[in-house]
Amino acid sequence: MNVPELPKSFERPDAEFPNPVPRPEGELEALKRPWKAPRGLSFITAVNNTYVGLWYVGTALLFFVLAGILALIMRVQLASPESDFVSHDLYNQLFTMHGTVMMFLFAVPAVEAASVYLLPNMQAARDLPFPRLSAYAFWAYFVGGLVFFGTIFFGLAPNGGWFMYPPLTSTKYSPAENADWWLLGIGFIEISAIAGAIEIIVGVMKTRAVGMSLDKLPVYSWAMLVFAVMIVIGFPAIILGTLLLEMERAFDWPFFIAERGGDPLLWQHLFWFFGHPEVYIIFLPATGMVSMIVPTMAQTPLVGYRLVVLALIATGFLSFGLWVHHMFATGLPKMSLGFFSAASTAVAVPSGIQVFAWIATIASGRMKLTTPSLFIIGFLFVFTLGGLTGVMVAMAPFDWQAHDSYFVVAHLHYVLIGGMVFPLFAAIYYWVPVASKRALSERLGRWVFGLMFLGMNVTFLPMHITGLIGMPRRVYTYPVGMGWDELNLVSTIGAFMLAAGVALFVFDMARNFRLASEDNAGNVWNAGTLEWLPNGNYATRSIPAVVSREPLWDQPNLSKDVEDGRYYMPGTVTGGREALVTSPFDARPQYILQIPGPGWQPLLAAVFTAAFFLLLTVKFVFPAAICGVLALGCVIWWLWETDPGPIRPPADIGGGIVLPVYATGPMNHSWWAMIVLMVVMGMVFTCLIFSYLFLWLVNPGAWPPQGVRIPDWIWPALSAFLYCASVALVAVASRQLRGEDRRKPRSVPILIGVALLLVGGAAAVDLWAQWQTALSPSAHAYGAAVYAIMSLQIFLVLTTLVMGLYTIARWLAGKLDTVRRTTFDNTMLFWYYTAGQGLVALLVVHGFPRLTGGV
Amino acid sequence: MSGTRTLQVLLTLGGMLAWAVQFTVVYGATSTLCARGWADATLFGLGVVPFTILTTTLAALAAAAILLVVCVRAERQSRDRPASATDRFLSHAGMLINGLSLVAILWNGVPAFILPACA
Repeated sequence: MNVPELPKSFERPDAEFPNPVPRPEGELEALKRPWKAPRGLSFITAVNNTYVGLWYVGTALLFFVLAGILALIMRVQLASPESDFVSHDLYNQLFTMHGTVMMFLFAVPAVEAASVYLLPNMQAARDLPFPRLSAYAFWAYFVGGLVFFGTIFFGLAPNGGWFMYPPLTSTKYSPAENADWWLLGIGFIEISAIAGAIEIIVGVMKTRAVGMSLDKLPVYSWAMLVFAVMIVIGFPAIILGTLLLEMERAFDWPFFIAERGGDPLLWQHLFWFFGHPEVYIIFLPATGMVSMIVPTMAQTPLVGYRLVVLALIATGFLSFGLWVHHMFATGLPKMSLGFFSAASTAVAVPSGIQVFAWIATIASGRMKLTTPSLFIIGFLFVFTLGGLTGVMVAMAPFDWQAHDSYFVVAHLHYVLIGGMVFPLFAAIYYWVPVASKRALSERLGRWVFGLMFLGMNVTFLPMHITGLIGMPRRVYTYPVGMGWDELNLVSTIGAFMLAAGVALFVFDMARNFRLASEDNAGNVWNAGTLEWLPNGNYATRSIPAVVSREPLWDQPNLSKDVEDGRYYMPGTVTGGREALVTSPFDARPQYILQIPGPGWQPLLAAVFTAAFFLLLTVKFVFPAAICGVLALGCVIWWLWETDPGPIRPPADIGGGIVLPVYATGPMNHSWWAMIVLMVVMGMVFTCLIFSYLFLWLVNPGAWPPQGVRIPDWIWPALSAFLYCASVALVAVASRQLRGEDRRKPRSVPILIGVALLLVGGAAAVDLWAQWQTALSPSAHAYGAAVYAIMSLQIFLVLTTLVMGLYTIARWLAGKLDTVRRTTFDNTMLFWYYTAGQGLVALLVVHGFPRLTGGV
Repeated sequence: MSGTRTLQVLLTLGGMLAWAVQFTVVYGATSTLCARGWADATLFGLGVVPFTILTTTLAALAAAAILLVVCVRAERQSRDRPASATDRFLSHAGMLINGLSLVAILWNGVPAFILPACA
């Protein structure tokens, strides 16, 4: 398919508009009809980003309040020495839940949720490219999160700290199910975060306003792109870590048990390889918000746009070189600590660039002291202080002194509250007029800010001292006379001030937030970006062509012209929901994407997925299995309606641009999503191979351990041959799926069927080879590592099996042919990945021990 | 995404990728060599650990420097002839990123000169 060239008029904003006015009668009504939200009970099946985004933000704020209440209980307990307000065990659950809920159920979901709402609006897209995926991610998080939080009421909440270090969390020291709630509950909420990240990457790259090339992309979109890529790279480490620890707890595979060749430090590596980037994962979206709000409040474009983008990208990279600074006290070689110390200080440079860019923007304009501005000033102050103590703890010798003390608690709250909570509140005060009929109260807002800012500092500033004079973290009480009494009391008073600020904010929301569809409060701040265009459920009436980063400032009358339908796609050409897919670099229109509307499928799939994991936690294996099958069924039911094919000939969207309503191959949005998913899988696998090599490193002379036989080379060779043969058959099937004649009989289903047998055989041969050597997964970490690699591979092969059978079913149902082949392409990509990973796995498992000769 | 665009992205992000490779190699090599008792082994008169760090750092510096030069050239050329705004943006961003990468790579090599290999 040829990419249509942009018409010349695009370079000249004053030239004619793509579409003439007045628009034909009934066009707007036809556009509104498919975008209407369902009524009554079915309202919860809505998938519009405007609804799901708001539910998502609301749920995240609910968890913020809940986890905050847990913090208040802890502060009451610590207000005086030798207090018995809560028991030791409950206190352990409280601090574990506070950290876990704030990080996993508030911070990451909140910034992801905000972007579900904001990104499409900011890029003038009708919706995100996979609206049902956002709905699925939201509901899985909503149900799973609430059940997870509920465990605190039954004494079942995890109590091993938010980073769940083994051996404390291994079966020996935590035999009860508390730890399993963390591993399974949080494990699958991370999957929901990854689903959101895939959505964001494809959304930023493929659905933008016409002409919104990379140099005109809002900084927020850049931030969310880097954020999502970091999730894709970082989250697999924790998913793998939770899998390994759960396998250790459930099946006694000793990954972290030192007596049998495991190493608890492996967990720390996996956890912090996710855990440190996580801090930036929640910080970067917040900086993206700040970079949008500051220019509006100062009424001048952001100073140093390119430098800010550089800072975002550099932070994205450098933040992956910091994880060991959480492990400075574990006795690693000092040289290793040096590398991480260097990267930890280096990452301050890009953060500094951003801070200076904001200050310069404020200085070059005239900053209005609104509530969002106040929160941003608070952010700059608090975050900078947190950054400075960050550079202090980046120095290994200082860290050894401050480690596990309240100094670290103070540092991390300055960074997280300063770096994420304040910008988020600024963002809420700033963007509420887009979603609500009324803006929030400026008068109340000042009080909210004042209470939160003072409360935050009164709570955490003294903690620096409490820590430096020796108070350790995570103690449920302390004796009189340590000199900690007054400081702790001050911190408790501060915590309640902070809470009062949040309570006032909730009151402000209840009083002023009124959901708007076409009657929002409007551009109250005179902002320059596209989310302030007039919009409804269908987003903007027409999709504008932009020529700058602040189109509303530089293209006078843009709002009116967009609303009149003068720009692209002012109606619907297929009668259903549509989005305009644009090229990733220059944002040239490529095709019209037919996107799905409301449906029960994502909701039910999410509920059953949550049920599957939660029932597994309490070892109800059979009901869990039923829910798993139902979840899979719902996903297939959901997918069956996708891949609609070219239901009409190419359509005119205005300005002489004629676009197809269906595209396949690398231009297709789901192709992109599949590639991102492959990166996720690749990272899970990479972390697993890292774990394998790590365990080799800590087991000199025992890899494999005495008495373990490596299978004869003929077995892996046979397995590799089967993988290659199956891929070859899929490639042949792909070739067959070409040509003009859509109805010509072809042997595609037979080829896929045989290829399925081959790929299944490949995994079975490998499993059999290890089985017949009587390798035990629980005797030694070697066996555990080998079986872990095989288990992941078998999971992929089973997934391929489902996808292959689904593809055959599509063919038999007449929903797959030479033109309508996206389903096949996705299966093919996944297949190639599965085979590729299988080959590398064979190479490592069978080749590495031979290479090192047991050394 | 066309081949030219992929190349442009690699040019733009190349310095940071070089940093990532350098980081992985120096950390992985130090951990492995120290754990396997090669702390005192030498290569060309240098300890094997500092030697690895030095060569990796120099290689990464060279890679980032070359990319920086390529991006500077591309930026100059785009000034002379009408290039698209995206191209100009990418080469300019590439200059900044590769420049910063040089500092990060250099900084990362410093521990080799002040700390004992495996203490």
